Amino acid sequence: MQTNSPSFNEKIFTVTGITQHIQMLFSSDPILQNITILGEISNYIHHSSGHMYFVLKDEKAQIRCVMFKGSALGLDFKPKDGLGVRAKGEVRVYEKRGEYQLYVSQMFEAGKGALFAAFEALKEKLRAEGLFKTEIKKILPKIPRKIAVITSPTGAAIRDIISITLRRFPNIHIVVVPAQVQGDGAARQIAENIDFLNEALPELDFIIIGRGGGSIEELWAFNEEILARSIYASKIPIVSAVGHETDFTISDFVADLRAPTPSGAAEMAIPDKDSLVKNIKLLRGKLNRTVFHIFDLKEQRYFNMAENLKYRSPKNTILQHLQTIDDLNNRLRLHIKHIFNNYENRLKNFKDKLVSLNPKSVLDRGYSICLKIPEKAVVKNIEQVEKDNKIEIIIRDGSISANVSGKEGKKDDR
Amino acid sequence: MTAKKKQDEEISFEDSLKQLENIVEELEKGELNLDEALKLYEEGMYFSDKCLEKLNETKQKVEKLTKEADTKYRTEPFAIQSNEEVVEE
Repeated sequence: MQTNSPSFNEKIFTVTGITQHIQMLFSSDPILQNITILGEISNYIHHSSGHMYFVLKDEKAQIRCVMFKGSALGLDFKPKDGLGVRAKGEVRVYEKRGEYQLYVSQMFEAGKGALFAAFEALKEKLRAEGLFKTEIKKILPKIPRKIAVITSPTGAAIRDIISITLRRFPNIHIVVVPAQVQGDGAARQIAENIDFLNEALPELDFIIIGRGGGSIEELWAFNEEILARSIYASKIPIVSAVGHETDFTISDFVADLRAPTPSGAAEMAIPDKDSLVKNIKLLRGKLNRTVFHIFDLKEQRYFNMAENLKYRSPKNTILQHLQTIDDLNNRLRLHIKHIFNNYENRLKNFKDKLVSLNPKSVLDRGYSICLKIPEKAVVKNIEQVEKDNKIEIIIRDGSISANVSGKEGKKDDR
Repeated sequence: MTAKKKQDEEISFEDSLKQLENIVEELEKGELNLDEALKLYEEGMYFSDKCLEKLNETKQKVEKLTKEADTKYRTEPFAIQSNEEVVEE
């Protein structure tokens, strides 16, 4: 059945025959008989039969795996895509499909796999060189005018970025730079576009590089050193927007801003124009209110002062003084009148006295006054006159001229 | 006035906004005399105009860039279409 050859030289195999031959080669190889493979689980399917089917991967190759229910029961962890494992078993050919595969007998978690190891190594290297330092990160302008997006021109990523960007800030200039975002050469293409934009469009406010979500292999371009170097060298700020939920890519670490998804990048890097305008209007409102408030305060103060001034006006003092003056005037007048009256009374008294002392009143009572002529001196004693002196005797209602005929003094008067 | 004119060309949106915020804060303290308040008010209005102006400076444009030799390139309008030629590998 094995060698049904028509000629000596030319061996002709049936498919089954050659497959069995290959199978024999595999099973005679000691390495393949008992092997431990380090890789990352992908396309994991836990069949209802209890068998597990998956692929082990690294950066460059993959191998199909099967783990039958019996062995699978011994697992101390739950396999899932992306998990790094050490799978122990035997590589054989699955004849029905003509595929070789690893028949896994035992499997252990292996850190996070080879890709992860490469990733970690590069990350540490770049970190040591200072590519991730926060202090070298460039700040994105608050109001971007012109931005570039390096990504696949088809698919959800670019659509999300453009629609969210325009929704948040309608009047912006977006330059889409098409690039392959997965597979061989993708990292180089993105890197070259970054370099190119730095040369050709230095006025760009920032560049978004990214792609939608995918397996770690699909995102691998964003973990490559060449891209990290270009991001680091770029004078234009770079936003890394690789669709992945938990893990970071190297690009994320080097970029000036890291967004979890392409749409997240637009949300984070593009300001919402409406709320900016709202904020400015709010500030304008405050500006108006505060100024009017200051005006009001000043006006109130002015009124208070005016009132105060009125209250403290010298008019009152003057009025008081005037009143005092009037008062004093009155008192003065009264006083003077009093003095005046006093004098008047005294005068009247004097007058009365005077009247009573008037010699004429003596004449009225019948006395007479004797005057010596010609000097008309009142004769008060006897020595004043001699015999034959002329005298005048004044009485109440006239006078009598006479000559002194004799005189006699009173003896007891002497 | 000349100082303002000079600022016109250089002041960024951020700076304008910062100035506006500072002015409002200063006014809110309410310790100013009328002349100062009026002057700040005028400046505040100026900066808020500036901010709004900056927001409307650019026009919307979405274009696709194709590299040519060296730093040369050409652009064409870019429309998001679902059934565009698939470039992604």
